[in-house]
This record gives sequence, C-alpha cells and structure tokens, in this order.
Amino acid sequence: MQKKKRLIINILFLCPLFIILYSGICIAEVGGDCDSCHALYPGMTEKPSLVKPFTYVNREVFCINCHSHNTSDTIKIIGGNKVPVVFNNIKPVYPLAGGNFHYVAKDFGDRKGHNVSGITSIDSKFRGYPPGYNRSFDPSNKGYNPGKPLACAGSNGCHGNRDIEDPFEAIYGAHHAVDKPVDGSTTARSYRYLKNTDRVKGVTGLEDSEWNWNGTSSRHNEYSSSVDVFCESCHGDFHNKNKKGKNGSWFRHPTGMPLPDKGEYAAYSIYNLDAPVSRESLPLKPSDVVMGGKDAVTCLSCHAAHSSPYDSALRWDYDNIFTGEEGKSGCLICHTGK
Amino acid sequence: MSYREIAKSQEPRAKSQGARVFYILLFALCSMLFASAVDARVKGKCKDCHSMHYSYEGKEMTYGGRHGPFPALTQGGCIGCHGQAPNGTKSIITNGKTRIPQVLHYPVNDNLAGGNFYYVADEYNPDYSKGHNIKGISRQENPPMDVPPGFMNSILIPGGTGPAYWPGQQQLACAGTWGCHGNRTIEDPGSSIHGAHHADDSIIDGSTAGKSYRFLYGITGKEHKDWEYMATVNNHNGYKGSIDHAAMDTISYLCGECHAKFHPSPNLGGSKEVGHAYNSIWRRHPSDISFASVHGGFAGSEYQGYVTYSLEAPVAFSNPTGAEDIVNSDSVIMCLSCHRAHAGRHPDILRWDYSKITAGAGKSGTGCLACHTRKGHE
Repeated sequence: MQKKKRLIINILFLCPLFIILYSGICIAEVGGDCDSCHALYPGMTEKPSLVKPFTYVNREVFCINCHSHNTSDTIKIIGGNKVPVVFNNIKPVYPLAGGNFHYVAKDFGDRKGHNVSGITSIDSKFRGYPPGYNRSFDPSNKGYNPGKPLACAGSNGCHGNRDIEDPFEAIYGAHHAVDKPVDGSTTARSYRYLKNTDRVKGVTGLEDSEWNWNGTSSRHNEYSSSVDVFCESCHGDFHNKNKKGKNGSWFRHPTGMPLPDKGEYAAYSIYNLDAPVSRESLPLKPSDVVMGGKDAVTCLSCHAAHSSPYDSALRWDYDNIFTGEEGKSGCLICHTGK
Repeated sequence: MSYREIAKSQEPRAKSQGARVFYILLFALCSMLFASAVDARVKGKCKDCHSMHYSYEGKEMTYGGRHGPFPALTQGGCIGCHGQAPNGTKSIITNGKTRIPQVLHYPVNDNLAGGNFYYVADEYNPDYSKGHNIKGISRQENPPMDVPPGFMNSILIPGGTGPAYWPGQQQLACAGTWGCHGNRTIEDPGSSIHGAHHADDSIIDGSTAGKSYRFLYGITGKEHKDWEYMATVNNHNGYKGSIDHAAMDTISYLCGECHAKFHPSPNLGGSKEVGHAYNSIWRRHPSDISFASVHGGFAGSEYQGYVTYSLEAPVAFSNPTGAEDIVNSDSVIMCLSCHRAHAGRHPDILRWDYSKITAGAGKSGTGCLACHTRKGHE
C-alpha cells in the first residue's frame, strides 16, 4: 500500500515535467537577478526620491538594448535568462522566427524590413506610413500615427497593448506576468506579447522555447490565423477576407485561406520553416505535418515579421525563384508544380 | 606509394573518368536532341510574370492602364504578358528566361501564326471586321456581331457542354466559356487556364489545358516553337484535322465550338447547317475534309496542283508533325486555311484580301488560288 502511494506521488510529480518536456514549451516568465536587465548601463534607472517615483531613462530603446547583440548569436543569456536577439550588429547565423533587424539596420535598405525606431531611421519612401494601412481595420483606439516612427510596441508598434501610445507602457509588466496559457487574454498571454488591443483577442500560437533558433520541421512555432488579423491592423488593405474586390484577400496573395488539399499544393505535406502555415486549431506540440484543406497560408508564410535579407522582408529572394527549373524553395514550397 | 603505383592506381579511374565523360556528352547530346519535345513549360523568375500582391510599395499596380487584380496575380493578365509592348513591333519578347509571344503590337512582317490584334485594337485604328473583339483590347461589336456568327446553344465541347445561351452583353474573352483558350467549361478566364503555363506540355494530347495545342483545351497539334515566327514550309505549326467529323480535337472543332453552324461535325452544325460532307452540296466552305473527298475525286482535280505546303493557306493533317512540306490527297482543309485566329490585316480575318482574288487573273498559289489552282491565270 505504501509502495503504491509512493508510486502515485512520483507519477504526479513527474507529470508536469513530461508535459513541459513534450510540449516544447518552457516557462517564459523572466526571473533572476533584476540588475541583469534593469541596470544594463550606468544611469539606466533614475533612483527614486521622496517626491519622484522610480523611473527608467532611455525607455524608448529599452527593448532594443535587451534584445540586441554585438555577436552573431541570436540567443543571449542575461541573468540566467535566455533572451531572444532580434538585432545583431553582425550578420546572425541563425536568425530567429521573426527575422533579424540587422538587415534593415545596415545598408541593405528600407525594403528589408520594418524600420523600427532606435534601430534604423524612418522609411524614406513611406515616411512612417504602413503600406495598406486602413484605419477601419486597426482596432487601436489611438490608431497608427504616421507622424511618429514605428516602435517595437504600443499604438505605433506591434507588441504590447496597442491602445497605449507609449511603447514602454504598452508592454509594461508582460515579462514578469504569468504567460500561460497563450490565449490572447492579456499581453503576457498573447503569442510573443502581440496583444493588439483591449477590445480584441491577442495573437495565439505555440511559442517555441528557442524562438525557432535552428528549428526543424518538428520543432518550431505554431501559428494560428490570428496572426493574419494582427498584421491586418496596420496593413488592412492586404488582408480582410470578408471584403470583396480590391479590398479582398484575393486582391493580394491570399492569406487566411486553407492551403488546397489538391493539385500542386497537396505535395506540401512536411512543414517547412521557409514557408510556415497557420493551423486551423493549434496542436499541443509542434507538428511536422501540413494538412491540406486545413492549414492555412499566412502572412508569415512568405514574410518575416521583423526583417530579412530580402526585399519586402520576404523569407526568400523573390528575384531568384525560378519556375520550370530544379529549385524547390521559396514560392515553390507551396507551388510545387511550378 | 611510388609514382608508378599512383599512376597505376589512377589508371582504372582514368578509364572510368573517360567513360563518365562519354556518358555526360551522350546525355548532353540527347538532351539537345530531344529538348524541344521534352519541356516547353514557362521558365524563369516568378517575378517576371507575377506580383506577390496587387500592390507595390503601397500603390496599386496597373499595366498599360489596365486595372486588376489580375488572375494568379499575373502582371496585367493575358494581355499584360502577351500584349506588353503595344507600341513596339516585337512579336516575341524575352523576359528573363521566358520568350513570350505577342499578339498585340504594331504590325510588321513577322506577325505570329494567330495574327495580330492590332487591327481591331481600340487604341489604334480598329476595323472590327478584321478580328475577334477581345475584352481589354476592343469594345464589343454591335448586334448582330455581339454574338459569335453561327453560334449554337449547348453543343458538345471538350470537357462538357458549351453555353446554353450567349448573352448579347457578353463580350469575348481570351479564355474560358466566353473565350477560346483554357477549359471552356469554366467561365472565369483565369481559372480556365490556371496552371497551364507551368504544366508539362511535352505531350500535346488535349487532356488538360496545359497539354492542349496552344492551351486550346481538347485540341491537339504540333506547336511551332516560335509560334511560326520565321516559319518555313517544313517547320511550322502542325494543325490537327480529321475527316471523320467525330473528332473533337481538331483545330476546326475549336472554331466550331463558337461558330457551330460553320462546321460539319454532327456535334455542331452537321449536315443541316453546313451540308453533307462527301460528294454532296456544301452550304458553307468545307472544313475538316481532305482533298481526297472533293466532289469528283482528287485525281485530275485542281487540288492536285497544291503540292508544297503554303504558310499562306496551310492545311491540317491527321497526325501533324509540323514538318510536312508536301500537300497531298490526305491533307485536310480547315478554318485556318483561310482565316487567322486572332486578327489580321484583311476583313473576315482572312489571310488574304478576298476582294483582290480574281479568277482567271490572279496568281496561282496565292490566296484562294493556293487550293483552287486552276482558277488563276498561271
């Protein structure tokens, strides 16, 4: 009897470990030494006084300071925490799922990615105005302000609560909040803190514990169609499948549409990190199977969220995708018959 | 290991390398020999023909004033690619690795086999009697020419049934139910031809749009690789003809799908509208009959005088190769013997000026007199 009890206790103790092990998910709440992040450089914080609360200086570059690196490594360790690097000063070896701002920050040009303030200057062509922006599709009560630069977070950015203009405030507390389940209910519980706004659900998905670093077809992020809706907030005219004609999704390359389960598309059956799909319903763990008729084309099937070596932040060089030849990459991952 | 040993050890490798070189050369030669038959799919960069979105840097993309979106996000749809330089004179434009036949450009002597929509294009000085009024190139013709002459309802077409009715406001399109190319059982032009440019068309059997002669679904034939640019009497399009009037894969059947009363197939106009096929009264100029079937027989007829294949008055064959330079009793008269497919410089899209063909005075071997050899003066 005693043995049985011990066995049950052991099993109960081990269960969470197994769940963590096989779900590909790790606890992502930031812990450890405060100074590792909050005192990255002298004067980062202003000491509180009796009349003045504790504040940060240079908060507009706070995100970038933590998530940049001077080497080619795209994961760095700060205070025992793994920190995803989205901006490397030198060419990254394994860019993470969102891409790397290295390409838009250097001399490669504006077309390589999002011109985030603090990394690079405002886009010379669009002058800070998101292509295809349609205010009616932006759920932010502030709306995008083209008079101000694109930011990491806030109403002029992607992460955090886009009802809040200040990027720092928009994401405040998310790194320390309970971030599971990823149900889009709060910033912390939104996929990669992409909450969007209070009145809409944030992005949902399955977060790879290493942000797709050196990912494989069976170890990667899993996207839901909510990520397309999110992109629509700033590029509304590029999506919105409920609209017809020139506002319809077919007006552009379709997104949010299931990959057909017949014809050339049926041959795309093994998940490819160069052309990811979104899932009709999110799996419990990453899957290497692509299900035609269910899994959908997403904005991220072709584009990197941050920046890539290629124009339009594409995952591949569109100028060098050839039809009728030997290649099987890029567009041809889905368009297998070409 | 000594030098000799090294040399010895390398000897078999040298032999095998020699064999390898031989096989590589053999493969290369075979590839060159059969290249034209192996694969004529579109090659080259996706970006040469497609855009990823119907926008570029936040602005709408238009092509020659045409607004999209265009099927498969092509750059301007059919005309965007095949009429991309209407003010130029090139009949073939090379874009990257792809050679694109042009069907709309300033006329030169190297118009392609189908003709040139220039003659009916609204942006020039159109004469609608000279060609098909394709949407995007010409306005629709006034009645009664707003409906294809000789149209018949619900006739049998490859893949199904033709339209039960041709609405007066329905303009002709490049492809689809209301056009010529692609699968005509599919109404949308883009969908009807979807994928054809990328299909393996090394075998033209009419089984799909991609495997059909010039993407004319169900039609077979041999495609001249340059669309008859610089064609010769033994290197030209090979048109499919059939004298049993049951075949649906002939080029004349394609014409008959819209101009049904002009074609003798029982599926189309048959004897009622056209006339009996053999040794009988024809109400219209025969098509899909061979010279062997002419009234009175081939032997001793004027048609024996048409010996060498004429690019001006081509004939069809039951198994065309595109290399036939001899015309004989088995050669088949077809719609395209007299007409261009798209548009031409002469009324009724004729290959020649009918008003200037004169019996007893005209030069044999030209125009009507290419077949009717005894009607000329020479």
